[in-house]
Amino acid sequence: MLYISNFMLDIFNLNPENMKRSIVLFIVAAITLATTAWWFFSASTRFQLYDLLQFGIIVMVVGLAIFVGYKRLVSAKRGEPAEDELSKHIMRRTAAWSYYISLYLWLVIMYVSDKVKLEIHSLIGAGILGMAVVFTICWLVFNFTGIKNE
Amino acid sequence: MNNRIREYRARFNLTQEDLARKVNVRRETIVFLEKNKYNPSLKLAYDIARVFGAAIEEVFVF
Repeated sequence: MLYISNFMLDIFNLNPENMKRSIVLFIVAAITLATTAWWFFSASTRFQLYDLLQFGIIVMVVGLAIFVGYKRLVSAKRGEPAEDELSKHIMRRTAAWSYYISLYLWLVIMYVSDKVKLEIHSLIGAGILGMAVVFTICWLVFNFTGIKNE
Repeated sequence: MNNRIREYRARFNLTQEDLARKVNVRRETIVFLEKNKYNPSLKLAYDIARVFGAAIEEVFVF
Protein backbone atom coordinates (compact mmCIF):
# COMPACT_ATOMS: atom_id res chain seq x y z
CA MET A 1 0.00 0.00 0.00
CA LEU A 2 2.83 2.38 0.91
CA TYR A 3 4.56 1.54 -2.35
CA ILE A 4 1.38 2.36 -4.33
CA SER A 5 0.92 5.58 -2.35
CA ASN A 6 4.50 6.73 -3.05
CA PHE A 7 4.13 5.73 -6.69
CA MET A 8 1.00 7.91 -6.99
CA LEU A 9 2.78 10.79 -5.24
CA ASP A 10 5.62 10.56 -7.74
CA ILE A 11 3.25 10.48 -10.70
CA PHE A 12 1.08 13.36 -9.67
CA ASN A 13 3.71 15.30 -7.69
CA LEU A 14 1.16 15.94 -4.97
CA ASN A 15 1.37 16.43 -1.24
CA PRO A 16 0.11 13.57 0.94
CA GLU A 17 -2.82 15.60 2.33
CA ASN A 18 -4.31 16.07 -1.13
CA MET A 19 -3.82 12.41 -1.93
CA LYS A 20 -5.14 10.87 1.27
CA ARG A 21 -8.87 11.17 0.64
CA SER A 22 -8.57 10.22 -3.03
CA ILE A 23 -6.65 7.07 -2.14
CA VAL A 24 -9.22 6.17 0.54
CA LEU A 25 -11.94 6.68 -2.08
CA PHE A 26 -10.17 4.37 -4.56
CA ILE A 27 -9.56 1.73 -1.88
CA VAL A 28 -13.23 1.71 -0.82
CA ALA A 29 -14.28 1.50 -4.47
CA ALA A 30 -11.85 -1.39 -5.09
CA ILE A 31 -13.06 -3.31 -2.01
CA THR A 32 -16.70 -2.79 -3.03
CA LEU A 33 -15.98 -3.97 -6.57
CA ALA A 34 -14.03 -6.99 -5.31
CA THR A 35 -16.77 -8.11 -2.90
CA THR A 36 -19.42 -7.55 -5.59
CA ALA A 37 -17.42 -9.59 -8.09
CA TRP A 38 -16.94 -12.33 -5.49
CA TRP A 39 -20.70 -12.39 -4.85
CA PHE A 40 -21.38 -12.41 -8.59
CA PHE A 41 -19.05 -15.31 -9.42
CA SER A 42 -19.58 -17.45 -6.32
CA ALA A 43 -23.38 -17.41 -6.42
CA SER A 44 -24.74 -20.95 -6.75
CA THR A 45 -28.15 -19.97 -8.13
CA ARG A 46 -29.00 -18.32 -11.43
CA PHE A 47 -29.27 -14.54 -11.32
CA GLN A 48 -32.70 -12.99 -11.38
CA LEU A 49 -33.52 -9.58 -12.81
CA TYR A 50 -33.47 -8.13 -9.29
CA ASP A 51 -29.90 -9.39 -8.71
CA LEU A 52 -28.71 -7.87 -11.98
CA LEU A 53 -30.39 -4.59 -11.04
CA GLN A 54 -28.53 -4.61 -7.71
CA PHE A 55 -25.28 -5.35 -9.51
CA GLY A 56 -25.90 -2.48 -11.95
CA ILE A 57 -26.59 -0.02 -9.14
CA ILE A 58 -23.44 -1.03 -7.26
CA VAL A 59 -21.35 -0.59 -10.41
CA MET A 60 -22.96 2.83 -11.01
CA VAL A 61 -22.22 4.05 -7.48
CA VAL A 62 -18.65 2.74 -7.58
CA GLY A 63 -18.21 4.37 -10.99
CA LEU A 64 -19.31 7.69 -9.50
CA ALA A 65 -16.86 7.27 -6.60
CA ILE A 66 -14.00 6.59 -9.03
CA PHE A 67 -15.04 9.61 -11.12
CA VAL A 68 -15.07 11.86 -8.03
CA GLY A 69 -11.67 10.52 -6.94
CA TYR A 70 -10.26 11.12 -10.41
CA LYS A 71 -11.61 14.69 -10.44
CA ARG A 72 -9.97 15.35 -7.07
CA LEU A 73 -6.64 14.05 -8.36
CA VAL A 74 -6.86 16.17 -11.50
CA SER A 75 -7.67 19.28 -9.43
CA ALA A 76 -4.74 18.59 -7.11
CA LYS A 77 -2.46 18.02 -10.11
CA ARG A 78 -3.40 21.46 -11.46
CA GLY A 79 -2.34 22.99 -8.15
CA GLU A 80 -5.92 23.58 -7.04
CA PRO A 81 -7.46 22.32 -3.80
CA ALA A 82 -9.12 18.90 -4.01
CA GLU A 83 -12.25 20.43 -2.48
CA ASP A 84 -13.38 24.01 -1.98
CA GLU A 85 -16.41 25.91 -0.71
CA LEU A 86 -18.56 24.97 -3.73
CA SER A 87 -17.84 21.24 -3.56
CA LYS A 88 -18.44 21.23 0.22
CA HIS A 89 -21.65 23.17 -0.29
CA ILE A 90 -22.84 20.72 -2.96
CA MET A 91 -22.00 17.77 -0.70
CA ARG A 92 -23.90 19.30 2.25
CA ARG A 93 -26.97 20.02 0.15
CA THR A 94 -26.80 16.58 -1.48
CA ALA A 95 -26.68 14.95 1.97
CA ALA A 96 -29.64 17.01 3.19
CA TRP A 97 -31.82 16.35 0.15
CA SER A 98 -30.96 12.67 -0.14
CA TYR A 99 -31.78 12.16 3.56
CA TYR A 100 -35.13 13.90 3.08
CA ILE A 101 -36.00 11.88 -0.05
CA SER A 102 -34.80 8.64 1.56
CA LEU A 103 -37.43 9.01 4.29
CA TYR A 104 -40.10 8.81 1.61
CA LEU A 105 -38.25 5.95 -0.06
CA TRP A 106 -38.43 3.90 3.14
CA LEU A 107 -42.12 4.76 3.45
CA VAL A 108 -42.68 3.39 -0.06
CA ILE A 109 -40.69 0.26 0.81
CA MET A 110 -42.81 -0.25 3.95
CA TYR A 111 -45.95 0.11 1.82
CA VAL A 112 -44.63 -2.33 -0.80
CA SER A 113 -43.65 -4.85 1.89
CA ASP A 114 -47.30 -5.02 2.93
CA LYS A 115 -48.46 -5.69 -0.63
CA VAL A 116 -45.69 -7.93 -1.98
CA LYS A 117 -44.15 -10.86 -0.19
CA LEU A 118 -40.38 -10.27 -0.13
CA GLU A 119 -37.62 -11.48 2.16
CA ILE A 120 -36.53 -8.99 4.78
CA HIS A 121 -32.90 -8.87 3.55
CA SER A 122 -34.16 -8.11 0.03
CA LEU A 123 -36.17 -5.17 1.36
CA ILE A 124 -33.25 -3.79 3.37
CA GLY A 125 -30.94 -4.26 0.40
CA ALA A 126 -33.39 -2.44 -1.87
CA GLY A 127 -33.62 0.41 0.65
CA ILE A 128 -29.85 0.80 0.95
CA LEU A 129 -29.34 0.66 -2.81
CA GLY A 130 -32.22 3.10 -3.27
CA MET A 131 -30.53 5.53 -0.88
CA ALA A 132 -27.32 5.21 -2.90
CA VAL A 133 -29.21 5.95 -6.11
CA VAL A 134 -30.98 8.96 -4.54
CA PHE A 135 -27.64 10.32 -3.29
CA THR A 136 -26.05 9.86 -6.73
CA ILE A 137 -28.93 11.58 -8.53
CA CYS A 138 -28.98 14.50 -6.06
CA TRP A 139 -25.22 14.95 -6.41
CA LEU A 140 -25.45 14.95 -10.21
CA VAL A 141 -28.37 17.43 -10.18
CA PHE A 142 -26.59 19.90 -7.87
CA ASN A 143 -23.35 19.54 -9.82
CA PHE A 144 -25.23 20.37 -13.00
CA THR A 145 -27.55 23.12 -11.78
CA GLY A 146 -25.30 24.75 -9.18
CA ILE A 147 -26.30 26.44 -5.94
CA LYS A 148 -27.51 30.02 -5.89
CA ASN A 149 -28.82 30.64 -2.36
CA GLU A 150 -31.43 33.07 -3.59
CA MET B 1 -26.49 38.38 -8.36
CA ASN B 2 -24.50 38.83 -11.57
CA ASN B 3 -20.78 39.25 -11.91
CA ARG B 4 -18.16 40.52 -14.33
CA ILE B 5 -15.50 37.91 -13.64
CA ARG B 6 -15.20 36.84 -17.28
CA GLU B 7 -14.76 40.46 -18.36
CA TYR B 8 -12.10 41.15 -15.72
CA ARG B 9 -10.37 37.87 -16.49
CA ALA B 10 -10.10 38.81 -20.15
CA ARG B 11 -8.81 42.27 -19.20
CA PHE B 12 -6.08 40.76 -17.00
CA ASN B 13 -5.41 37.96 -19.50
CA LEU B 14 -6.04 35.24 -16.93
CA THR B 15 -7.37 31.76 -17.65
CA GLN B 16 -9.94 30.14 -15.40
CA GLU B 17 -7.21 27.89 -14.04
CA ASP B 18 -4.98 30.88 -13.24
CA LEU B 19 -7.74 32.63 -11.35
CA ALA B 20 -8.70 29.41 -9.55
CA ARG B 21 -5.13 28.93 -8.35
CA LYS B 22 -4.87 32.56 -7.22
CA VAL B 23 -7.99 32.36 -5.05
CA ASN B 24 -7.41 28.72 -4.00
CA VAL B 25 -10.55 27.13 -5.45
CA ARG B 26 -11.12 24.52 -8.17
CA ARG B 27 -11.51 25.61 -11.79
CA GLU B 28 -15.08 24.27 -11.74
CA THR B 29 -15.96 26.87 -9.12
CA ILE B 30 -14.82 29.67 -11.44
CA VAL B 31 -16.89 28.10 -14.25
CA PHE B 32 -19.97 28.02 -12.01
CA LEU B 33 -19.38 31.63 -10.92
CA GLU B 34 -19.10 32.86 -14.50
CA LYS B 35 -22.31 31.04 -15.44
CA ASN B 36 -24.06 32.61 -12.43
CA LYS B 37 -24.78 29.15 -11.05
CA TYR B 38 -23.16 29.87 -7.70
CA ASN B 39 -23.07 32.83 -5.33
CA PRO B 40 -19.66 32.93 -3.65
CA SER B 41 -18.95 33.45 0.02
CA LEU B 42 -17.93 36.94 1.07
CA LYS B 43 -14.33 35.77 1.46
CA LEU B 44 -14.17 34.31 -2.06
CA ALA B 45 -15.81 37.42 -3.53
CA TYR B 46 -13.25 39.56 -1.70
CA ASP B 47 -10.34 37.38 -2.88
CA ILE B 48 -11.51 37.53 -6.51
CA ALA B 49 -11.99 41.30 -6.37
CA ARG B 50 -8.53 41.70 -4.83
CA VAL B 51 -6.93 39.69 -7.68
CA PHE B 52 -8.42 42.23 -10.11
CA GLY B 53 -7.54 45.19 -7.89
CA ALA B 54 -11.20 46.20 -7.79
CA ALA B 55 -13.86 46.62 -5.15
CA ILE B 56 -16.33 43.77 -4.59
CA GLU B 57 -19.25 45.81 -5.91
CA GLU B 58 -17.36 46.47 -9.16
CA VAL B 59 -16.95 42.73 -9.85
CA PHE B 60 -20.20 41.48 -8.34
CA VAL B 61 -23.38 43.28 -9.35
CA PHE B 62 -26.20 43.07 -6.80
